Amino acid sequence: MTYAQVYEVFARKGHTDALKHVGSVNATDDDLAKAYAWTMYDEEKWVEMCVVPRSAFISITHDGALPLWGN
Amino acid sequence: MTQTAKQYDSTEGMSPACADGLRNLLTACADTKLILGYHYGEWTFGPPELEAAIAGCSLCQTELGHVRLLHGLLKRHYGADPVQLVEGRAPAEFASISYLDSDLEDWAELVAANYVVDLAVTRLLHSLKGSSFTPLRMSLEKMLDEERYHIHHGQGWFRTLCGKSEECRGSVEAAVNRALASVAEWFGPAGEPEDEALVEAGVKSRTNPEVLEDLLADIERIAGPLGVEIEVAKPSRPDGWSPGTRRARDAGPSEDILYHLRGSKNAVFKLKQ
Repeated sequence: MTYAQVYEVFARKGHTDALKHVGSVNATDDDLAKAYAWTMYDEEKWVEMCVVPRSAFISITHDGALPLWGN
Repeated sequence: MTQTAKQYDSTEGMSPACADGLRNLLTACADTKLILGYHYGEWTFGPPELEAAIAGCSLCQTELGHVRLLHGLLKRHYGADPVQLVEGRAPAEFASISYLDSDLEDWAELVAANYVVDLAVTRLLHSLKGSSFTPLRMSLEKMLDEERYHIHHGQGWFRTLCGKSEECRGSVEAAVNRALASVAEWFGPAGEPEDEALVEAGVKSRTNPEVLEDLLADIERIAGPLGVEIEVAKPSRPDGWSPGTRRARDAGPSEDILYHLRGSKNAVFKLKQ
């Protein structure tokens, strides 16, 4: 059985801009997370975009708590 | 394709087989992208999750954008009328991949269209990278860049359905094999004269049967570890195959698909060209 997990999406507008959190997607694997992030958060011409499974986050301040941005 | 190969800014200087082959190749890619875009648009509603709906909408948008690019090349270099290409041809004149001729009945069929049919056209476009026909080379980078996300989507959903249940896996396996049979017919027989002329002139770097091999290797790379059996049925009547329609029989997209795609029910609102 395959389950979806939450991937957080980060992007950078210009090469000198900071990488910022732009949202999240639910996906069953990395390929789908890439496709969903690219098609959902296409409001800018990003020079860099990446996705990270939320499960890979090591929280320092809110151990185990959902982030404020939800999902 | 070598760096010293003759470069073409137009079809002037090409052999008749090469010039005809290029027109047929551009038309076949545009026709497939047009019908594929229609199906992606249709599946903006009804996929298993909201993210897939948004992706379907985006995939539709890029395919139709690519159609505009390809029609521009056909207009500039062959005097084709883009409106006529969409509105004025009978179904049997389309050179699209036959898997797309009818409505895709369920999500597994849409995934097979994305995973196999979309990738087949992208693989063909890859064989045109560094083409000696420079006008095409300039459009390719944009198309191939956008197609990367189509590939991620197709691979991701194929893998997902294979892992979800036996029923889902069986559905997508059957759909993928049907799609592959259509794709094999579309690529055509080995030694096809127009295809050979395109490779000889450096317009393409690989023959269509070689591109099909590349595609099968791509699919096996994902399907093999999942235990999915990939079979490519040989075209049933290769003798009747035409490079103009890339089929061995008179057939094409359904009248119903063309009616909706052309906006026929809104004909009264159409602008004069």
